[in-house]
Amino acid sequence: MLTASSPRGADAPASKDLPLLRRSATVAQHDGQVVIRHLRQEITLEGAGAELFTRMESHLDGRTAIEAIAGKLADKPARLRALLEQLDEAGVLAFLSARDDVALMSGMEFYQLHREHCQQWLEPVYNHPLWEKIVSGQASRAQVLGFAFEKYHYIEAAFEHMGIAAANATPEMMPHLARHFIEEYTHGDIYRKGLRSLFPDDVILRSQPLPSTRALVNYLNESAQRSSFAYYSGNELLQMTENTGEEGAGRAVDDFYAAMRKHYPYTDKLIDSFIAHTRADQNLGHTDAFLLMCKSVPPLTRREVNDALNVAKNMAEHLLLFMDGIDTFYAKFATVPRPPCDPLSE
Amino acid sequence: MASIATQYRAKRVYEITSPEGRRQLRLSDRIVELGEREFDWYQKVAAWLPSVRGVADLSRELGMDEAKVPKFIDALEKSGLLYRVDDGPNTMTGVEFHARFSSVLNSWLSEAFAHPFWDRMMSGKGSARLFTGWLIELYHYTKNANRHMPLSCAHAHEKPIKQLRAKHYAEEWNHYHYFMKSLKELGFTEPQIAESVPLPMTLALSNFMRQAARQDILAYSICSAVLEGTTTDRKTYNPYYEKSAELYGIPKSAVTPIYQHLDLDVQYQHSDLFLDIMQHVPEMSAERASTVLDYGHQLVEHIWLWTDNIEKYYQVESNPVPRRSFDVGLD
Repeated sequence: MLTASSPRGADAPASKDLPLLRRSATVAQHDGQVVIRHLRQEITLEGAGAELFTRMESHLDGRTAIEAIAGKLADKPARLRALLEQLDEAGVLAFLSARDDVALMSGMEFYQLHREHCQQWLEPVYNHPLWEKIVSGQASRAQVLGFAFEKYHYIEAAFEHMGIAAANATPEMMPHLARHFIEEYTHGDIYRKGLRSLFPDDVILRSQPLPSTRALVNYLNESAQRSSFAYYSGNELLQMTENTGEEGAGRAVDDFYAAMRKHYPYTDKLIDSFIAHTRADQNLGHTDAFLLMCKSVPPLTRREVNDALNVAKNMAEHLLLFMDGIDTFYAKFATVPRPPCDPLSE
Repeated sequence: MASIATQYRAKRVYEITSPEGRRQLRLSDRIVELGEREFDWYQKVAAWLPSVRGVADLSRELGMDEAKVPKFIDALEKSGLLYRVDDGPNTMTGVEFHARFSSVLNSWLSEAFAHPFWDRMMSGKGSARLFTGWLIELYHYTKNANRHMPLSCAHAHEKPIKQLRAKHYAEEWNHYHYFMKSLKELGFTEPQIAESVPLPMTLALSNFMRQAARQDILAYSICSAVLEGTTTDRKTYNPYYEKSAELYGIPKSAVTPIYQHLDLDVQYQHSDLFLDIMQHVPEMSAERASTVLDYGHQLVEHIWLWTDNIEKYYQVESNPVPRRSFDVGLD
């Protein structure tokens, strides 16, 4: 039986009557086997289990009670329940609950769930074609310089979203958000230093981000104003894309920069600034910040969990948009840096 | 010599075409024609102006004697492709600003709607799914007016402008019902649409409007004017809806509410609102005029990228329509 602190959803015994195959789960059938996948979980059913699952799959909609399903299939409810509880434990199925306002999980349980989902939501970002275009030298000068400018605008925007977050923080989140702002607000200058090898300072300061970069920053701003915890849940997803110094990821980033230097020699100083920023972040130990926050928050209701995870998911979509904007927009409109309008420019 | 770069800037070029070995560069007020060699030089000058490189570098790149470079830049300025930073006015009235805005609005709108999505839809290479996706995002965009229109009233300081913005909000706040009607005609239920999640760029549009509302009521108003500029008369939007209905089997009953909405906008004369507001602005500094113009142009770019986001999401058959929010119990 699930407890109130289970990270998997249902919160009371009564709700264990309404089974739901998770919407993001995939089901594949071959050679009499049924393979169900959800996030990193995979369960394989064979024989009678596979046969029973296949018969009841279309009824696992969260609206039909086990008794009713058993009636439709002319089978024993206890037999169905036994299989469904195994699937629940494996994480591919949930029992629906209508209650949003009771404690669903602790901050630490949320932390684990958040990491699991974020890794999946970040996959399209890691697979975005812009990375390969830069590594193979196919990206245009505008796309490469645009990439550097948009990174600068995003990092510089710490002034906005981290400032708003600290100013609107809940009591338990305030020390974390204040510390984060104080540690980060100078990091835009690290990128600006790299850009100054190619462009005058006033041109960099006046330059305009792409709408897609503005979208990412504004989404952070709006979340920061609305909910400290949900904001940081989204911010943490962004932090997860930073190079933490872990060996495998670190080597991939080194290879990326080496290829960029080779194909675009004029970006040498820019890359130095990217690396300097990574080191600055690593020295600050930001990887632990969200863990500490999750340890300090009171237990979270289902509504709070959904809110914080939706912000993280939307953040991943905004990050994909950020990548896509650089790739698509600079390919079509090659002006970089992007000057602001004035009364004569139009 | 080193200060040439700070004296000149490049004007915005809205389109470059290449008829018969020549290059035609379309500005907001003229078309400048260049030969291939001059076009190459122009591109090099435009890239050099905002850089840290000296005139000697540019002269080498152009293969032109250093002494001749200023003359060439001067010629580009006379053609209208460059302008002198110092030539701008120090101040202007609100009505003068509006005249400048009106003179570039058509160029801006052509840029906003230059995305290949429109040709695709009109040529039959689109789909009912893309049409539906566009409509769902329009629903969210229209509903999200409630996130920025009242905010603009809250941040407006002058009474007459506050009044005009509030009246606009009162007339617009519930227009999302028209899109809900259309979507119901396409077979969706009200909760399916009301509980769905907009695309990031749809949300970005309303977040950008919120940003403008907080910064400067005129910045907000120019964005609003760009958006209203897209619906000034039926000629601009009818062909898209009529052709889509014909090509993709969209029932007439799903298009009718959209026309009703657009006709209402025309009836309210919302496209005149920006002039009404600017008449209450006796003087603007060049700096404020630049900021306001920049917001208007950024909104134009938002529309382009919004279209791109819609096309990329809805053309993938496996993506859910409408988009659902994440639920820890269900996903």
